[in-house]
Amino acid sequence: MSPQKIQQKAPQIIGVSQPIERIRDLINHVADTGLNILICGESGVGKEVIAQNLYQHSPRSNRPFLKINCAALPDGLLESELFGHEQGAFTGAERKKRGKFELANGGVLLLDEIGDMSIALQAKLLHVLQSGEFSPLGSEKEVRTDTWVLAATNHELEEDIQKQKFREDLYYRLNIIKILIPPLRERPEDIPPLIEHFVNEYAYQFQAGRINIPGNHLIAKLCEYHWPGNVRELQNILKRGFALGNWDEIIDELFRYTPAGSAAMANSAPVGRPSTASSISGLDYKNIDLDDLSLKEITRAAQDRVEREVISYVLEKTGWNRSKASRILKISYKALLYKIKDLNILIPH
Amino acid sequence: MVSDASARLLIIEDNEEVLRSLKKYFTKKNYDVVTASNGLDGLKTYENDPEGFDLIITDLVMPNISGVAIISLVKKKSPKTPVIAITGWGEHPEALATEAQADLVLEKPIELDKMDQFINDLLSKK
Repeated sequence: MSPQKIQQKAPQIIGVSQPIERIRDLINHVADTGLNILICGESGVGKEVIAQNLYQHSPRSNRPFLKINCAALPDGLLESELFGHEQGAFTGAERKKRGKFELANGGVLLLDEIGDMSIALQAKLLHVLQSGEFSPLGSEKEVRTDTWVLAATNHELEEDIQKQKFREDLYYRLNIIKILIPPLRERPEDIPPLIEHFVNEYAYQFQAGRINIPGNHLIAKLCEYHWPGNVRELQNILKRGFALGNWDEIIDELFRYTPAGSAAMANSAPVGRPSTASSISGLDYKNIDLDDLSLKEITRAAQDRVEREVISYVLEKTGWNRSKASRILKISYKALLYKIKDLNILIPH
Repeated sequence: MVSDASARLLIIEDNEEVLRSLKKYFTKKNYDVVTASNGLDGLKTYENDPEGFDLIITDLVMPNISGVAIISLVKKKSPKTPVIAITGWGEHPEALATEAQADLVLEKPIELDKMDQFINDLLSKK
């Protein structure tokens, strides 16, 4: 992706969870400081949204905001994009080109995916951050820059330092202020306001009244999903649902392909070792109040889940021939019809 | 040297145990001690306190707002307010703390009597 100038108005930060409230508070306190900020979080949590908000709340909001994706460009090209080059600096450098540090002077430069930057280029970046000066490729002259640097990453940079993939001195210089955006599965209370936000956004885009809004029971199901792709995944799923209206099918797909997919489970089960009862039933019984715990309910949830999976599989194999499926499953035709309805198994389109 | 009884200290430290022991020690030494357990709360306390602080002690490595940021912001607003940075073993942002004009950088474990002496010296220079 090439560097680009970002739209003037920053998108809203949506959410009611305590971490999101804290991030809003943090932005209000640090946006006017000009101190380097590191924005961390999994893919799709909205790191760029935070960067845009910092920019909009800063005294630099009428100056340029440039962003560059450090993972998307080969090293040599990234260096030239960041620092610019003189005519003839390398084969193909037919004319002089100004780099992002020069173009963003007085404004903001977002270094996205900073964890993917090579060690060699990290040294050059460190030099700019220390001295406020850089040399374009092929030039002996140092150019001064007053650029507010924001960096974003989905890497655990502390681990990268241990593996010698990231410079510790650069880390400390970027990490003057750190904004950590938790994954969506750790703040499911933000899902309903996000859905409302996207309903409003797409209602406007799709022309009001023509989008298919999910009902409350579907929103509750969406809150249970663990959203590995975070807000971006939620947005994509919603966009599809708003347009097609096949919410049951969409939700069925989400949970079918991620059997251990509930938010509660993702929070509690150690990675790779979910408890048998939790993974089969989909209920994180260790997080249920003892007063509300019911063996009957957990067994029922586990049974429903297993039946749903097996029946769906057999129906798919038989091309939804219910007579044939009932014979394979060794249950009556009537029992199969009842289960299809009861377990909300839908014919794929 | 006798501690200045009216001196107000703001101590910002995310390690509860360290924060508790610093507060206990300097309260006993008759300082008026205000504490914050992270950088953001520390910055808000500093910005909103009507009386102002005579000296600030901050840890360097903390979630959200680091000690380096605290030092930079305090020194920008009131360059004469002394700031002592404390840093854990194996953490290396000391150079940044000095660059941000920290008056003193101390490595943990902290010798409290020595720290008290440093505070007295810094306050008497003010």
